[in-house]
Amino acid sequence: MRKIFLILAVFLWIAPDLPAQSIGRYLGDEAILMAQTKQVNQFFRRFNCEESPDGVRYYPGDSLYRDATFRSRYISVLFDNQNPSISDEVKQDFMRGVINGKNSIYLDFHGGEWFSEVTTKFIYKGTEMPLTLFLRLQEEEVGSKWVITNVYFEPFSRLFSNAQPDGMKFLHPLSHELDFMNLIHVFKDKNEVELYTSREYHPDFLTLFIYEVKNGNLLFKTVQQVKFHFFQIPGWYFELADFNRRSANSGWLIANLLKINAEEKELMLKFIYHE
Amino acid sequence: MNRIKVLSIVLFFVMAASGLFAQPAISPERKAAIDSLALEKVRDLSKYITIVGNKETPWSEANRVIERTLELFMPGSQMGVSSLFSDDVKYYGIREYLERLMQLNYDKVRIQWYNIQYISDLEQQPDGRFVGVITIFQRFEGITGDQLVYKDTTKKDITVYVERKQTQIGGRLIGFWDVLLGDVRVTETLP
Repeated sequence: MRKIFLILAVFLWIAPDLPAQSIGRYLGDEAILMAQTKQVNQFFRRFNCEESPDGVRYYPGDSLYRDATFRSRYISVLFDNQNPSISDEVKQDFMRGVINGKNSIYLDFHGGEWFSEVTTKFIYKGTEMPLTLFLRLQEEEVGSKWVITNVYFEPFSRLFSNAQPDGMKFLHPLSHELDFMNLIHVFKDKNEVELYTSREYHPDFLTLFIYEVKNGNLLFKTVQQVKFHFFQIPGWYFELADFNRRSANSGWLIANLLKINAEEKELMLKFIYHE
Repeated sequence: MNRIKVLSIVLFFVMAASGLFAQPAISPERKAAIDSLALEKVRDLSKYITIVGNKETPWSEANRVIERTLELFMPGSQMGVSSLFSDDVKYYGIREYLERLMQLNYDKVRIQWYNIQYISDLEQQPDGRFVGVITIFQRFEGITGDQLVYKDTTKKDITVYVERKQTQIGGRLIGFWDVLLGDVRVTETLP
């Protein structure tokens, strides 16, 4: 068993460096498909070293289950090797944190701290427009399911970015004595209504989205792109994306890797959500 | 003691109602058995696609095979297809997808399958059933006259639903795992 693993593993480890043309057509195709990280599920298993190079599941008790040496080789081929912004030093630093004897860190499908960003197309009031949905896995009493947690839609964003506080738009503190008759001034300019809300107010695009769908103003057309954001490894952020290309270094790979602290994590989340 | 009894009875009914009894956890050995059952269905699907796509298959036979193919799927399943030229996923019902394949305007169609498949873990859904995804790869060639006029390689990610069911045989209730296919994502890849 160990011998078979070694033979397959050697190919998997060296395959990303082989130019595609040097491999015979049919055999080459198969080998590339074998090396490709074909599902997000496979990314998790390879990252944790929970399967053989040909995809056979390892379980606790199997000799190579989460084996540190093989895991290190697996993780090293899970980066998009055409992205020069992920330096070898950063990769090594990341791998040292993840593969660390008894303190090793494994990805957990049900462990939270990761979510999906799905670029879709909707027809909005008759015009085709991109809309981004954010989804996360929610644990249920039985099983789990993906749920929509946030939305980014440019028309919503535009609608809520006009009003700039100038210190002049407010309901004065004795408005109540006038039965709030001065609300007439609030609704004169529809673009500045939010200036009369509390400082805690934050527009909820998900509610707006559902409202527009229910009113028939937003009609789903298609999915265009899917990627994932991982914050599950303490001190690190990485983006997982699908690379559809003729190379063993293809499929679901780490497209971005950043060492981040708690404050930077908050900034990164704001950036992802376009806040 | 009585309170424990009452609690046990309540718990029994709650679990029975929620389907927890019907869908036991899946051991690695059981998973391997379910995987081969699911792969068998996927192989049937591959075989049927090859027959439906083959220009030498008589019209009536192709239609019969389409009906057999539909039996493999959950009702309402969709094929979501994208190409190298467009990221947009186009949606087709299974019947529509197969009928389009049957009507392709080539003299000859060659459909081959790569000897690679990847089977995901099985995850439980809130309704108690388990779901997995099997990935396979297909090479398609459309030939008109002596000319190869179109070819593509597609990755097919096939949803697999797994459910524990019971049937009565000779007065005895026998449990079995039922496998049905669901939505299929078809992505054109670089061969």
